[in-house]
Amino acid sequence: MSTRNGPCERRGGSESSGLAARLRDVTKRFGPVTALEGVSFDLVPGEIHGLLGENGAGKTTLARVLGGLLTPDEGRVEIGGCEVALRSARDARALGVAMVHQHFSLVPRFSGLENIALFNGGAWTKRGMAAPGYRERVEARARELKLEVELDLPVEGLGVGARQRIEILKALMSETSVLLLDEPTAVLAPREVDGLFAVLKEVARAGTGIVLVAHKLDEVLAAADRVTVLRRGGWVLTREAASVSAGELAEAMVGGAVGGHLARGAAGGQRPTVDRGRTAMDERRAATPAADQLVGTADPAPVASLRGVTTIRDGEPALRHVNAAVKRGEILGIAGVDGNGQRELARVLARIRTPDEGDATLPAEVGWIPQDRAEEGLVNGFTISENVAFALHGKDSCRKGPWLDWAGIEETAAELVREMDVRATSSTATAANLSGGNQQKVVTGREFLRSADLLVAESPTRGLDVKATVAVRSRIAALARHGDHPPGVVLISADLDEILELSDRIAVMVRGRLIPVPRDAHNPRDIGELMLGARVRPDENADGHAGETRNTVRGPEGSTPGARSAGGGPP
Amino acid sequence: MSTTTLRTRPPLTPALTAATALLATLAVAAALLALGGYSPGDAFAALFRGAFGSWDRFVSFTLVRATPLLLTGLAVAFAFRARVWNIGAEGQLHAGALAGVAVAVALPGTPGLILIPATLLAAAAAGALWASVPAAMKTGMGVGEVITTLLMNFVALFMAQFLVQGPLRESRGVFNQTDEIPAAAHLPDLIPGTRLHLGFLIGVLIAVALWLYLTRTPGGFRLRAVGASPRAAEVSGRFRAKPVVWLAFLTSGAIAGLAGGVQIAGITHRMYENLSPGWGYTAIAVALLARLNPLALVVTAIVFGALSAGGGAMQRDAGVPEVWVRGIEALVILAVLTVDRSWQALADRGSRG
Repeated sequence: MSTRNGPCERRGGSESSGLAARLRDVTKRFGPVTALEGVSFDLVPGEIHGLLGENGAGKTTLARVLGGLLTPDEGRVEIGGCEVALRSARDARALGVAMVHQHFSLVPRFSGLENIALFNGGAWTKRGMAAPGYRERVEARARELKLEVELDLPVEGLGVGARQRIEILKALMSETSVLLLDEPTAVLAPREVDGLFAVLKEVARAGTGIVLVAHKLDEVLAAADRVTVLRRGGWVLTREAASVSAGELAEAMVGGAVGGHLARGAAGGQRPTVDRGRTAMDERRAATPAADQLVGTADPAPVASLRGVTTIRDGEPALRHVNAAVKRGEILGIAGVDGNGQRELARVLARIRTPDEGDATLPAEVGWIPQDRAEEGLVNGFTISENVAFALHGKDSCRKGPWLDWAGIEETAAELVREMDVRATSSTATAANLSGGNQQKVVTGREFLRSADLLVAESPTRGLDVKATVAVRSRIAALARHGDHPPGVVLISADLDEILELSDRIAVMVRGRLIPVPRDAHNPRDIGELMLGARVRPDENADGHAGETRNTVRGPEGSTPGARSAGGGPP
Repeated sequence: MSTTTLRTRPPLTPALTAATALLATLAVAAALLALGGYSPGDAFAALFRGAFGSWDRFVSFTLVRATPLLLTGLAVAFAFRARVWNIGAEGQLHAGALAGVAVAVALPGTPGLILIPATLLAAAAAGALWASVPAAMKTGMGVGEVITTLLMNFVALFMAQFLVQGPLRESRGVFNQTDEIPAAAHLPDLIPGTRLHLGFLIGVLIAVALWLYLTRTPGGFRLRAVGASPRAAEVSGRFRAKPVVWLAFLTSGAIAGLAGGVQIAGITHRMYENLSPGWGYTAIAVALLARLNPLALVVTAIVFGALSAGGGAMQRDAGVPEVWVRGIEALVILAVLTVDRSWQALADRGSRG
């Protein structure tokens, strides 16, 4: 902790900004990926500062830089008006910065009191118990913060909300000027969210600056005093929560500016396939106006259709009465913030999950580019050929009697490597040795090899660089637009540019429901609002002035009339 | 990009690691022997002579002792390839030996052409049955197989004790052992004039079969995929893990059971308490040293067979107690793991530049 006093004392009050914490032009890279780029951020004592952004926007990275868990590559960190070099969470802790992680760090067998004592040095005796008298201090602090905590039962038996309160009290037992919460609402039921926010407001009233990392717009607007939005590692805006509309935030989070730049930056002759696809798509659009009205009921013979599909996961509905259909040569884009049921939908479509209710009519084989290519799309220890064999091992053409025809598979794989322009470090490369973009090209090419009637592409370009993004998108577009038997494609993505660039029809997935987006609402702002759970009526959408104020933010269990009609099933 | 063979891996690396591990083991063992006041040179020379000193030493001792290690090693390796941590080869071997003896003793007067297959099949079936209990607990209730297979070993051991002291005790009633199996059930000698029996050949054939299955068939591909990454196997291959887990358990148990059957039909010709000196556990070292490759396992089983065969000679000729051999076996496992990790660390550092 040598870092604590040196710079702080020298600079002393001379440069006191009155801020609880401040980041200036902070850049953080992980290998080739830039997680934060030149981001500045202020935290005023006593405020709740919502930090919004899509997955991968850099919000957790920012919180971790403030919490001392990451050291920035460039830029400065100030705590309490003094520049500091945090080398560990312990350094940050000594300066009054506490972090509550998404996954709690409590000893399951210990009681709440024991956990709190264990964390706060000096309160844990050598005999392995909380120091005498410590309990009274904990209780007093809990009363101050109006925190209801259970101190005596083992925490493993407590509910998530109760454990989170212990985690917060644990963080706040010593002097705390900055409290960082990473997606604290992700694990909570709606009722518990309200309780958490009440606690946070109490903590803030005592002068602590709170950073609330989240990706749910309505929640942040309900709790925060100010809001900062990050997108793709860059700062987008910081505003008073009371003076910003849901629509503005939605657009800031998912809007077109950065994506448009991305597509343009890569243009240089690389997108003819996509452009041709556009033309074909526009023709089809004119031909099938009815397709706009409902998600996929227009085509008489879709290659895949879901009717009233409901699935239950961990006792909660993950999909709620989902109706959808996709026909040959069509790309159905499904936009949505991660965690609204898209993974479940992909699993149903790929036939590894059977619906608990409703009917799914699906082709025998489905191509599936899964979201997590490193863990699910590939076996890291397998070679490229072996990973390609996943799509081939069942086909007669790749067998000789009881044996797999490895020579044939290797030939196919080598062809795929050439066609998809996979840059392998060596010819014997295992998947683990490929860069993310090349891994994705292998997965994409492999799923094409299945020649299935349905292709499900889940966030196919997440984390890829510009070139790989263009390559993968244009392959998907080309697959759907050309050939004698093009498959139907379901494109699931949180990236609105991707959805808008590729899709013939668009639907939004919110809390397990699939809501069709009318053609005239095919713009980042309207779709963004739907994605983020803002209440948008289709007719308002059509007029183009939806969701302007916080009043339009939807309640936790609310659903729009549009959602019901699209969902089709009984509420 | 020129024409490529994409699947082939650098072939030397596993062999190199194994060799490095063996050399490291010998170095550490030499140092320990010297510390213990023995002459490492004399000890290793005696060990080598005992294992490879003559054709008969090699065939009748080293290869004969390698046989149960080869079979149980294959059982362990096959299960491990599917990420099924079967620590229960010892128990499955006992179950197989008991079933083999019971069948052979119950069918006197049957010709060998029928009796030998019947004995070995009974042994394999009993081993598979023994493995099916942890398999059902894992697939049905998610109970970890490391604990269940290990505990099933003790059940098998005590069951064997009970049976040879009671129901299956020899009719003479002198020792705690079963009657001798009929001569027709004895495995024929593989090389006349030596003690090497058909069991060794069975082991080699199974090694080749497993290797072909794993590397050349769709089923083997599925098993390797589930073993390497269950999630990727489900998502990319649309493979269900459960059938693969069952297959791994039952095959592994059958091969370990067969090891017991081969031992009683080939060598002991009866069952008694403590039939195995822990082959089912040593098998884990044999399998790991072979990097779970069935073909390499033939070699590593012979290495461990040689250690076992040479141990007696080392005690007799160099005055080094035989327990040192067990120590050397343990050192091999440590060396394999250490070399493996250091190799990986070196490779990682290299690739990161």
